[in-house]
Amino acid sequence: MDMFHDNPMLQGVRQMLGAFARQMMRPVAVKHDQEESMPWELLKAAQSVGLTQTAILDGRRRLTGIDEDADPKKPRFQARIGVAASEEMAWGCAGIALALGGSGLAAAPLSRMGTQEQKDEFRRLLSGTDANGHIKIAAMALSEPGTGSDISGLKTAARLDGNHWVIRGSKQWITNGQSASAYVVWAQTEPAAGRAGVRGFLVARDTPGLVPGKKETKLGIRASETAQVHFEDVRVHQDMMLGGAQTSEGSASGLADTKKMLDATRPAIGAQAVGIARAAYEYLLDRVRGGTLHGTPMATHQHIMFELADMHMEITASRLLVHRAAWMADHHLDNVAEASAAKAHGARTVQYVTNRAMVLLGEEALEPGHPVEKWYRDAKIYDIFEGTGQIQRRIIAKQLTGQNPT
Amino acid sequence: MDFGLDDEQQMIVQTIRRFADRDLRGWAPDADRAGAPPASLYKAGSELGFFLDAVPAAHGGALDGAYSHTARALRGFELGRGCAGMAALLETNVEPALAVATWGTAAAKQSLFDALARPGGGVAAFFHDSRGNLEIDDRGDLRVSGKLGPIPAFGQATHLLVAARDALFVMPALDGAGRKLITPSGWRAAQWGTATLDAHRVPAELVLARGADARAAITDVLSWARTSLAARAAGVASAAMEHATAYARERVQFGQPIGSFESLIRLRDDALTGASSARLMALYAAWALDTRAPDAADAASRARVHAGDVVARATVDAVQIFGGYGFVNDYPVEKLMRDARAFEALHGDERLGRVLAAKAEWANA
Repeated sequence: MDMFHDNPMLQGVRQMLGAFARQMMRPVAVKHDQEESMPWELLKAAQSVGLTQTAILDGRRRLTGIDEDADPKKPRFQARIGVAASEEMAWGCAGIALALGGSGLAAAPLSRMGTQEQKDEFRRLLSGTDANGHIKIAAMALSEPGTGSDISGLKTAARLDGNHWVIRGSKQWITNGQSASAYVVWAQTEPAAGRAGVRGFLVARDTPGLVPGKKETKLGIRASETAQVHFEDVRVHQDMMLGGAQTSEGSASGLADTKKMLDATRPAIGAQAVGIARAAYEYLLDRVRGGTLHGTPMATHQHIMFELADMHMEITASRLLVHRAAWMADHHLDNVAEASAAKAHGARTVQYVTNRAMVLLGEEALEPGHPVEKWYRDAKIYDIFEGTGQIQRRIIAKQLTGQNPT
Repeated sequence: MDFGLDDEQQMIVQTIRRFADRDLRGWAPDADRAGAPPASLYKAGSELGFFLDAVPAAHGGALDGAYSHTARALRGFELGRGCAGMAALLETNVEPALAVATWGTAAAKQSLFDALARPGGGVAAFFHDSRGNLEIDDRGDLRVSGKLGPIPAFGQATHLLVAARDALFVMPALDGAGRKLITPSGWRAAQWGTATLDAHRVPAELVLARGADARAAITDVLSWARTSLAARAAGVASAAMEHATAYARERVQFGQPIGSFESLIRLRDDALTGASSARLMALYAAWALDTRAPDAADAASRARVHAGDVVARATVDAVQIFGGYGFVNDYPVEKLMRDARAFEALHGDERLGRVLAAKAEWANA
């Protein structure tokens, strides 16, 4: 299989999730955007296509691009499956796609560095339904109010007290932050050790002192819940520290691994951007095909068609960058710059395409609930989260010269 | 050539700037969330001379002599800095009032101006059927069918000025005409509405112009509206960078204020160039309208197109500078990004119009 064509397995993923996106996500996307509500019914329905909340732990790592079990000599498919799935789901609705993947953010570090006991505990915390009758979900809590692009200065601290760690601090921008039943929270255990001292902890929602904060009202991806989470002297048994309490020296199970994980998610984030861009482009193309402009077919106007040609070029270029980054990951090649390029280019493309689509549609796109207007709002976060466009360019630039430009 | 402001213009700028900074910016977050302005907007706006500034003094308004589009552009920029949605409400009466004063019959004047000048103030709105969606059957009286809108201020309006193919007319009493109130993502305070008409009757006395006269009149009305939109858009772009600059000074990442990173300096620098050029183009178009310069319509159209591009880009870049905080409603810039779109979408795409006109010219060359 070459990197330019999907093999039957990837085609299958695209077809299955494309159908799920079309039949299940699209019909409720505008409702959840307008209400800024979680798509609980879809979280449940998604289990039928393998998107369970513990899918990553159960060995179905479709959305992460991470597979810690791979034979290092053999190419994998996880990253390519991840980007194909991400594009299809974001085509349906980026907010719902992020809601569906939110628990995976917590499951991924557990899958990578959790003990069997921690994995079992995670499954137990996510079994059954919560007090509202919803399926149980999880959250990963890393970002803090003062720690956005620069993740080395975490303020949340954990101190050892007997057999327990006591966690204190506030987290921000936490996907599923308010509704989660289980949290993987990152805290500094040895301030002197810097990044190496930052460790993850699995914490149950009902642990005293764990207080979900305000849910954010957002510009886009409004079906995905984003909230603050406060840890007010939350006591966690030492067995729930990721990597186990005995391996605290070295950074292999700490923040550095988290950073590696963020690197691994970038192609999938780029793929989501491609999915939104394709949605807006297809909407326009569909309009153009049947439309007339002052009595002549729209498709005969360069004024319109060259814009669509430009969009097509940019979307194709973004998708190729995404697939190259994923292909490299699957072939165990270092893809730091390529992953950043895929993410940054996808972000640029989706902003460009949705912006031009708004212009070409004109007044129509001002109507409440217009899908293109929603995609325009959804697009913006792709240049911000998981490393801003500036951070991606910094990473790429450092690969070019070895220096961090400021 | 003189780019300076005279005493009266300076006073307008200062007064409206104070109103925008203190009142509009103060009201904006709640008005945006509620999808409606505070009740105090109409009172405060009236006290500052809005709503009646284009209504002739003889009909209970404040207009004595020629209307100054330059003064309107100057205040529009300041209003845009305050809140685009409330700015749209404060400016909404100008096109209907000027059009009816210029081309209206005595009956049209009485109908509109009585409503606008009544105690408590009235509101009128303006719709340009840029896509040719309306069907108009002209038998002296008009029978109008089709979709109107989305139109800012239409939810509140007692009258609607409509510029359609070959007809400019005003319609009162819209409640019977299937009017629907809507709240789009942008200008949420602006009390938008749409309506679907089915052979809705507009009496002949409310038709302002038909045929070639209508096309000329509509060009004028659109030029007024586009100039005002351009000035307000430049104000929104400018406000976006005011907020972004203040934030970039405070926010420290990697041990330095983010404003000191060259990439963000460039974003701000380009946006400031954009806002500045957009404001100048709007003021030039206003001056051209006031002096009846031959290029007034062209200048207004180009000013609006440019300002639409500028405000879209500046507000997106302001969100970028705020990072994650830019994406949430606790900070002012995501609202500005939503507000930016109406500036280029309202009244149709002049770029397309120019392309088609030029193509027709080449075909005949």
